[in-house]
Amino acid sequence: MSFVFDYISVNTFWTILLIVHALLAVATLGALTHQAVSVAMPARQLAGASGFVTRFRAVHGAGYATAVCVLWVATFLLGAWIYTKYRIAVRIPLERTGYWKTLGFFELKEHAAALGLGLLPAYWYFWKNPKNPAYDGVRKAVTLLLAAICWFAFLTGHVLNNARGFG
Amino acid sequence: MTTVVEPSAAMRDKKTSSLAASASFGTFVIVFAIAAPVIYVLSELANWPLFTYHPGTNRIDFGWAAARANEGPAMYWYGWIATMLIGSATLGAVAARFPRLSERIPLFLIWLLPLLALPILAYALMPFWTR
Repeated sequence: MSFVFDYISVNTFWTILLIVHALLAVATLGALTHQAVSVAMPARQLAGASGFVTRFRAVHGAGYATAVCVLWVATFLLGAWIYTKYRIAVRIPLERTGYWKTLGFFELKEHAAALGLGLLPAYWYFWKNPKNPAYDGVRKAVTLLLAAICWFAFLTGHVLNNARGFG
Repeated sequence: MTTVVEPSAAMRDKKTSSLAASASFGTFVIVFAIAAPVIYVLSELANWPLFTYHPGTNRIDFGWAAARANEGPAMYWYGWIATMLIGSATLGAVAARFPRLSERIPLFLIWLLPLLALPILAYALMPFWTR
């Protein structure tokens, strides 16, 4: 990878990775939020004009499952790579300046993302069997939990980047 | 004259991928999902990372290893995840040999265990909250 640094600085490289990581997270967040709302507040059959909220929750949730899994894994892998740089370039300076709770929430976010990773195969399987009534409750609960984890991870990462980024 | 043919049940079923239609895979994912948070929490609390990564020197040690002087911090998160993935996949693969096993497993454990894991993991981060 060192040839990259002939063209851009080390900080620019990691900042680009962080931005791509954030964009992937936004896509995951959008897909999961659509899906979570569609299972938490399913829209009745659309008839005539409908509002934004109705259209937002009227999505076909099963169509998001594979995309969510791919996006979660891609976001996770990129985040795991960035984490190596974060541990030295971001966390140590934040420790020196006493941002302990911010760092604690970030570590909790990493745990939550790992737990979400463990849920993905079951999540995918339940969505790919939408006609099995035995999975209705667990499909809804797992989707809501993944959406909650995704929101928590996204907001925590955002706040930490505000505290100190790579730039 | 055009004849509209309704898709048969078999044709509709073909729309579900073979993996999603497999009872063995269903058992695998259910056991995997239940085992993953348990193994992850145990791995974190009992210091069972599969490996330790030292980002300052790019060195990897098998199992748990302390940070070395003048080499920067040690990272265990990757090792905990490896332990979780390998452990859960192994248990899932064993369970998949008994496809009907999943019918006896309470499915609520799949979402309840990760939820219970979070406060335990937050407690393990106590030094961050109390400084």
